[in-house]
Amino acid sequence: MKYILKKIATLIMTLFLVSVAAFVAFQIIPGDVVTSILGTEATEEREEQLREELGLNDPPVTRYINWVGDVVKGDLGESYRFSKNMNEMMPVKELIGDKLPVTLWLAAIAVVLIIVISIPLGVFWAKSKSKVLDAVMGVLTQTAMAIPSFFLGILVTYLFGIVFKWFTPGGYVSYQENFWGFMGYLFFPALSVAIPKIAMTARFLRNSMITEMKGDYVRTAYSKGCNDRRVMYLHVLRNAMMPVITFLGMIIAEIVAGSIVVEQVFGLPGIGRLLISSISTRDFPVVQILILYITFVVIFVYFLVDILYRVIDPRISNK
Amino acid sequence: MIKIENLSVAFDGTEVVKKLSLTIADGEIVGVVGESGSGKSVTALTMMGLVSEEATITSGKIWYDDTLLLEAGKPRDKALYRSFQGSKMSMIFQEPMTSLNPTKRVGNQVEEMLKLHTTDLTAKQMKEKVLEAFLSVGLKDAERVYECYPHQLSGGMRQRVMIAMAIILHPGLVVADEPTTALDVSVQSQIIRLLRKINKEQKNSMLFITHDLNLAKRLCNRVVVMKDGNVVESGTVNEIFDHPKEEYTRKLIEAVPSREKKMQRFSMNVGDIQNANGQNMPLQRPDILEVKDLNVSYMDGSNSLFSSKKKKQVVTGATFTMKQGEILGLVGESGCGKTTLSKAILGMNKDVEGSIIHHSNQPQMIFQDPYSSLNPAKTIGWLLQEPLRAAGLRDKQFEMTKADREAAAFDMLHKVGLSDKYFYRKSSQLSGGQRQRISIAQALITRPGLVIADEPVSALDVTIQAQIMELMRKLQEEMKLSFLFISHDINVIYQMSDRIMVMKEGRIVEIGETQEIFDNPKEAYTKQLLAEV
Repeated sequence: MKYILKKIATLIMTLFLVSVAAFVAFQIIPGDVVTSILGTEATEEREEQLREELGLNDPPVTRYINWVGDVVKGDLGESYRFSKNMNEMMPVKELIGDKLPVTLWLAAIAVVLIIVISIPLGVFWAKSKSKVLDAVMGVLTQTAMAIPSFFLGILVTYLFGIVFKWFTPGGYVSYQENFWGFMGYLFFPALSVAIPKIAMTARFLRNSMITEMKGDYVRTAYSKGCNDRRVMYLHVLRNAMMPVITFLGMIIAEIVAGSIVVEQVFGLPGIGRLLISSISTRDFPVVQILILYITFVVIFVYFLVDILYRVIDPRISNK
Repeated sequence: MIKIENLSVAFDGTEVVKKLSLTIADGEIVGVVGESGSGKSVTALTMMGLVSEEATITSGKIWYDDTLLLEAGKPRDKALYRSFQGSKMSMIFQEPMTSLNPTKRVGNQVEEMLKLHTTDLTAKQMKEKVLEAFLSVGLKDAERVYECYPHQLSGGMRQRVMIAMAIILHPGLVVADEPTTALDVSVQSQIIRLLRKINKEQKNSMLFITHDLNLAKRLCNRVVVMKDGNVVESGTVNEIFDHPKEEYTRKLIEAVPSREKKMQRFSMNVGDIQNANGQNMPLQRPDILEVKDLNVSYMDGSNSLFSSKKKKQVVTGATFTMKQGEILGLVGESGCGKTTLSKAILGMNKDVEGSIIHHSNQPQMIFQDPYSSLNPAKTIGWLLQEPLRAAGLRDKQFEMTKADREAAAFDMLHKVGLSDKYFYRKSSQLSGGQRQRISIAQALITRPGLVIADEPVSALDVTIQAQIMELMRKLQEEMKLSFLFISHDINVIYQMSDRIMVMKEGRIVEIGETQEIFDNPKEAYTKQLLAEV
């Protein structure tokens, strides 16, 4: 319990540092919001008026405190660029609100695919004694690891979308309309995200298992009369998972932060697109919130990995 | 009961077990003794069906009662073996820490035996049986042990868990492969007694594999001596130990350090004056080391921002002196602070209170494991010169030319009984005994007055052990060295030391002349330690 509190404190500290960094970065990088909103033709008075409205004339520290204060209260600010109607700007919350689930579900499906496929694959690979299979797996995983996911995306679109017609390329249904249809559209993008990671994880798990199989406790398990399968799944796997879990944590963090490209390829309205367009138009309130969100997810995943580590290996929590 | 006929096992075409035949009768304890590489473990693993797949059985058969378990030329029948493993034959391994699965509760690990081989027990009955087994192997707090992970138990308790696991199904045969080697002496005896008790109660046959002849003598009915994959000699314990027929057996028995025949030591007598009654009057020797009220502690706890570090005191109030040319033996169980004390004397631990006064130049250390303590990437010649280079860098007065350094290294090589050619080799090309010679040479090349030897012979086979002890004594005399000789083996200490210091839980409980301590131990703990062997 004490450990979890410590972890939460660390999480808050990290978020604080990242929020400062995100805020400061947009003070430093060139490019003026007002110009990007109004265009170069605007009068000076209009620019000054907008500056005042957005609070840009306040000193940076005041602005930072105001911003963080609002975020903590749940007010994520308003976009500089998107308007809700004639008089109001779009709140960031609403803007992100319907895009976030797309990205999160995409990542979640990819993670499930990685875990569900790579673990049995890694175990199977480690267990096999066939040299041919070993070589084939080696080449396959190496290839899968080497292909960039956007290209995989194109291949998957071609194969499953155009040849097999299992889904409509570029199509999309909102999760509010049809949840399972939505999941169906996310499946293939998630698959292209997952394939290289599946190859990496399976390879990693296989090596880890082969190392663990040399352990004395494996010999003990055989001496009790366990068969290969039981030894693999009940004895070796759990110990071999230790390094793999750290690796999975890193991969998951990477997927959450890095789904931008795949979203573009499949035309999914996730936060990836929003992030890119917001950066180019200096829509700081949106970008800052997205940075914080990504940071939060990454740290949270590491936090879960840490907890999982303790659950799997009793030696850690007792040290 | 068990019959091994003409068994040969080969790895990569090299036979490690050669035409071995062995029988074990019902209820009999057969000991297999031999040095490392003699093929004793491979024999046991082959019999258990656990030898690695790279091994090929080139000849022979193995029978369990009337069942033919294994026959050369036929693939190992894994399913048949599985029906025997655990239920009819089980095994206890050397290292109980690594032999138990670190991520499963020990109770569940023992219970797995029941899950694999019984069908009619409920979960509750299984647990009861496990607890019963724990009690029968002397794990009193069975309920708590059941819930523990291996790392939460002591070495002795872990080995008891292994034994509980091996005997829970009352197998006809229990194979124990060096079951006490990784344990402290006092625990060792308890485990041996436990095995004997089990044998008496359950009437199972046992195959006891060991490099330690004393243990074989205490536990077994019959002994088989192995060397290079062959059976050298076999017979009852009395036949083997009292009337060994073969030269090798005799050599092996003689090499075991014992208390009966203390080897002659001269060094303390050199220069001693005999008084009128013909008794030796010890010459006043200068002190080489004075340790006074020494407390050593180290920082415990995680490097965390929030929890403060705890100081853990390991050595408390150590006070002793060492004379020049003396061998002081230090005994105690693992965790008693022997190594911490020696590190403090070497100045490797800074967290000390009290005083350590050296009357010699930089003391040196010889380590236990010659495999991991020599840098495998460097030649022996380079390794031997390194202490001289280091001394030269530290202090200009020790600076030497390359030629002088090399000459010193060659000289040292001869002193430890190795020829010139080893100068150009790497440690991976040497045997364990040769490596330990190099470790010794490395420690002595700077001509230190004081050398700390931390279990220098524990990792070696008995015959090699005897040679290294001989060498250390020889060098001690030639070079007028003082040794602080650390060992858990009381007999090794007896053979080596002039005086003995006994440590327990960080304190020095007794210190005195070797013979005096052995004849009249004053402290209960010393008595216990002496009684164990």
